[in-house]
Amino acid sequence: MEAVVIMKSRFYSVLYMFLLTFIFTAVVTVAKIANQDRILNNQHAKLQRVIFKVLHVPLRADMQADELQELFKERIRVSEVEGRTVYTAFAPIGETVIGHATSLNGPGFWGPIYAMVGVDAGGTRITGIEFYKQQETPGLGARISEQWFTDQFVGLSLDRAQEDKAFFSFTYPGRGKVSGELDAVTGATFTSKAVEKFLNRELVFLRKLADNNDGTMKNAE
Amino acid sequence: MENLNPGTLFFAAIFTNNILLTNFLGLCPYLNMSRNIRSAFGLGAAVVFVMTCTTVINHLVYYRVLVPLHLEHFQYIVFIIVIAAFVQLVEMVVERYFPALYFVLGIFLPLITVNCAILGASLFMIIREYTLTQSLAYGAGSGIGWLLAITLVGAMREKIQKSGMLPKGLEGPGITLIITGILSLAFIAFSGMIQIQ
Amino acid sequence: MQNDQSPSQLLKQGLWQENPVFRHTLGICSTLAVTNLVVNTLVMSAGIIFTLSMSCVTVSLLRHITPMRTRMMAQTLIISSYVIVFDILIQAYLPDISEALGPYVGLIITNCIIMGRCEAFARENPVFPSLLDGFAVGIGFSLVLLAIAVVRELLGFGTLLGFTVMPDGFTPWTIMVMAPGAFFTLGIYVWLVRSFSMQFDKK
Repeated sequence: MEAVVIMKSRFYSVLYMFLLTFIFTAVVTVAKIANQDRILNNQHAKLQRVIFKVLHVPLRADMQADELQELFKERIRVSEVEGRTVYTAFAPIGETVIGHATSLNGPGFWGPIYAMVGVDAGGTRITGIEFYKQQETPGLGARISEQWFTDQFVGLSLDRAQEDKAFFSFTYPGRGKVSGELDAVTGATFTSKAVEKFLNRELVFLRKLADNNDGTMKNAE
Repeated sequence: MENLNPGTLFFAAIFTNNILLTNFLGLCPYLNMSRNIRSAFGLGAAVVFVMTCTTVINHLVYYRVLVPLHLEHFQYIVFIIVIAAFVQLVEMVVERYFPALYFVLGIFLPLITVNCAILGASLFMIIREYTLTQSLAYGAGSGIGWLLAITLVGAMREKIQKSGMLPKGLEGPGITLIITGILSLAFIAFSGMIQIQ
Repeated sequence: MQNDQSPSQLLKQGLWQENPVFRHTLGICSTLAVTNLVVNTLVMSAGIIFTLSMSCVTVSLLRHITPMRTRMMAQTLIISSYVIVFDILIQAYLPDISEALGPYVGLIITNCIIMGRCEAFARENPVFPSLLDGFAVGIGFSLVLLAIAVVRELLGFGTLLGFTVMPDGFTPWTIMVMAPGAFFTLGIYVWLVRSFSMQFDKK
């Protein structure tokens, strides 16, 4: 008699858990599906803003995701160069290329750091840089995302005399500067070194974009 | 994170990026179980074992099952179930075949499922894009780092208890938090030791 | 073990007498990390309150049909589902904050307070008191987090909710933004509250 009760209750427990799992999985899936487009749009809008910023395409402050999308289609062409996605910006009228942008990444202190780097049409100078995805320590390493830090890169020359020479290096803030020396983030030696290392390794790629400079890029979507 | 040496990651997880002292994870059992060295060490050892294994299992589950099926958003639920099931399994095995070990660690095992450091290690591993070897190094390192922190504070609390010089309100969690702050400050000094690559 | 306290008593209990942080130092693990900015703390608190209230309601609704042996598993499932829903919602509506919070949203699952309230209260009480209990404990918890966040952001960045409030010559105390700052702030709060309530209880 007792055995039957236990059997019953065991079966009931399994059934109960099964139903509960089913219901809650359904709830989560519905929530996911209902918001999926919005989440995707947010991600696109964020990336588009970053690309516009490093290429100095002016934006209105109150632009919505769909307006951004529209502008992106109008001004930017996406292409593949050596397996990397390259975003090429065109002047508002005509076929003039105003610059290229691409995403570079490398290991930081806590996790990967992603930087969107913009370069002028000839692949000679950096037009802007944004560290758009990073998990560095707030108040220390995370300050690489601040304007004063990223502004230092604007105009940095990608010409270098010898192949093995670095494009830039960090020094302590406030020291006398020769060209190619930028201020590190105080107290975040590790993050600064990480940024220096991966950018110096990866920036070479941007110079190659100068050759892909003709109007044919425009259709290479 | 392709090019981060697992060995570096292992030591970084113990010292510079200690999961308890810099990420605050596993603080509840840490505050409540660190009254003496013996129980602190017992719990810490159990955490090392469970964390190492579950990080690897969760890595496999995430990249072999969830990603191909596009069910990444279920990761929280799946990870916590993997952890709970693993702890249950370990408890049964240890109780059956290693009664002596069960006597030492057994009472700590059920506490581990709700230790956020375990789930935290799995989530960080996904968000920081570690490879399988890196995850193993990270899981083991984080576990050992947690063990180190709780044992250190357990030892200090024992001494402080004996001195009996504290203001009433500071006893217990108050002083433990402040000691932890100083420990965390001390561990920041390790960050100069480890270089990337 | 039915509970027949009035709503106001329940609120008071959650906010002060049974305040999870000061009384039991529970549940701070997954949340202390986001207290370096007030905005992040507000969103995280909203997450805790949402998950806690909803989980308490659900556990209470199911209290007559949940078998004893699977109740922990059922609670974990319920809590995780609400956390995932919350995560999806902030990804959709507050993408920047969602990114800043990173894995800490997921860690709400292992927050001991939530399962603690489900186990200790919602499992044996009707729906309305359970909702109130979850809500009150959530608010009490959030107030403590906010108190920490205000001190940390003010001293660590010189700002509040992103607006500069400190005078120009102010040097940010970077240590407050880093982990030790959180430990010290919470340690001192716990000390103050305990000493204060000890005197209070004597009278």
